[in-house]
Amino acid sequence: MALIKVEQLSKSFDGKEVVKNLNFELEPGKCVALLGPNGAGKTTTLRMLAGFSKPTKGSIKFDQETLSRDIRQYIGYLPQYPVFHNWMTGKEFLMYVGQLAHMSRKEAGERATELLDRVGLGDVEKKRIGKYSGGMKQRLGIAQAMMHRPTLIMLDEPVSSLDPIGRREVLNLLMELKKEATILFSTHILNDAEEVSDEILLLKQGELIEHGSLDKLSQMYQTARLELDFRSLPEDAQEILRSLEVVEQLTVNRQTVILLVNDADLARKELLKIAAQKDWDITRFELVKSNLEDLFMKAVNR
Amino acid sequence: MQWSVIFKKELLENWRNFKWIWVPIVFIIFGIMDPITTYYMPKIINTVGGLPEGAEITIPQPPPEQALLMSINEYGTIGVLIIVLITMGLIAGELKSGVSELVLSRPVTYTNYITAKWASTVLLILASFIIGMFFSWYYVNLLFGDLSLSQLFGAIFIYGFWMIFVVTITVFVNTLFKVPGLVGFVSILIVILIHMVTSIFGRFLAYSPANLSSYVSAYVHTGEMTADMWSSIFVAIVGIALLLLLSINILKNREI
Amino acid sequence: MLEALMQINWALLAPLIVIQVILMIVAIIDLVRIEKTNGPKWLWAIIIIFVNVLGPILYFILGRRQ
Repeated sequence: MALIKVEQLSKSFDGKEVVKNLNFELEPGKCVALLGPNGAGKTTTLRMLAGFSKPTKGSIKFDQETLSRDIRQYIGYLPQYPVFHNWMTGKEFLMYVGQLAHMSRKEAGERATELLDRVGLGDVEKKRIGKYSGGMKQRLGIAQAMMHRPTLIMLDEPVSSLDPIGRREVLNLLMELKKEATILFSTHILNDAEEVSDEILLLKQGELIEHGSLDKLSQMYQTARLELDFRSLPEDAQEILRSLEVVEQLTVNRQTVILLVNDADLARKELLKIAAQKDWDITRFELVKSNLEDLFMKAVNR
Repeated sequence: MQWSVIFKKELLENWRNFKWIWVPIVFIIFGIMDPITTYYMPKIINTVGGLPEGAEITIPQPPPEQALLMSINEYGTIGVLIIVLITMGLIAGELKSGVSELVLSRPVTYTNYITAKWASTVLLILASFIIGMFFSWYYVNLLFGDLSLSQLFGAIFIYGFWMIFVVTITVFVNTLFKVPGLVGFVSILIVILIHMVTSIFGRFLAYSPANLSSYVSAYVHTGEMTADMWSSIFVAIVGIALLLLLSINILKNREI
Repeated sequence: MLEALMQINWALLAPLIVIQVILMIVAIIDLVRIEKTNGPKWLWAIIIIFVNVLGPILYFILGRRQ
């Protein structure tokens, strides 16, 4: 049973369609990355799921047992630029939003202390949020999203504004979070998606162009990358390689030629044959499994 | 439960940003300013006015009823301005800054959100208004003669509804625009418009809440509640309820 | 002039002065504690201290950055 079922979800602002006909389901317990370049409609999609923005068309259905109540009870949301009441302390703010989600004062207090410790803000829980640094605010943002134990946590670009250390900390937090809730987070950075997510929703200009588990996707895009180092690059090498049918893309970087090929086995055979024929002086021949970067570029650029 | 969480948070906020101190003080100052200056004006003119020896200006001192109404007058202008200024960011400010994203991503009902915020502001304004009126009454008694407590309570009761009405108008405009400055401007415009329409079509609009100030005057002088006064109060209450309902519905159906 | 000052009933004016002083002190405390104001802090300090009554009120309404 899917946790959320999204059908034909569309959103227009002033006649311009920013999200086009999205269809997908989220399975419980998964960590899903909403991946796409800036302006692909990631934030708009998350805001519709969180109930801030009404779909122009289509529907969002949560699983049946939660239907009768306000779905926001089951959602934790972290906007890209979270803003807090700066006059409150970190603990006060968490208790405030927890109680808004019908936690008792006592329960909210205990949960707030626990979460502040977990995100590493235990020692500043009595400090006003106005005095927190950017990274501290981002961690408080994650804590507030988890506060009322939601079944679905949505995070909008949770790591893009952070320095490498902060990014590392937040990604580790996400890994831990996976045990407690379904996670949907948006990002425009592939590595982040690759590192923590089980599934990827790839958005481009408002359209869902790929959806699936990482394994499935990399199988589907059976592109492989071949790297050849020459002692000295023969003049006709580029032309010859480009003319091969298996080669989809070719980049030259000094003495190194990088090939994207659609069939790794075939490409290897053909290349070795040509190299022997032409007597190319190759110092390195490496077959690299297609990484997500290539998939991402391929999907976004096609 | 949820309502009281929001209500308490608003009270705490107004305490931490000192509104609970400065708003009552402003109401006290503007409440007693007119009675005091009116009382001292002749003496000041006589001492520093450079009048010829022996000449004295006598300015007739107003009766106590009139003196109390001076304070009501101040609350109708400066008071309204203060109310609008402190209410214009109540919801618009949260929507504009983005805090509302963290608050309204919880299962917060719009009814609780708006009415709790409204109630906390009404409490602050009413408390300030009542304290200010008591100070005014005290000074009027000292300087201009006796004024009964029942006259004071009547004035507070009648004019209190206008104060709440102004808060409610501003809360309503809060749900229309995201920029607090614009909210303030439009709210003031609406208050002025209500006054203008009421004075132009006065004969047909005897029950307009804008007439509450003249009913205060009538009550302070006669000590009697008339049917017109009650009708005007009733219209104010209905207006407040309708504006709140409208605000809730607008916010519910709005992109946040 | 001295006679005029004697004539003033200080019992009447004292509460007004006390209230003004409280308002000013609260505004100054807030100004010291607050992180940022609209416009330079020192300017607000001058306004609060030297503009009678209106200074602190203006500060609370316009000077505080929410």
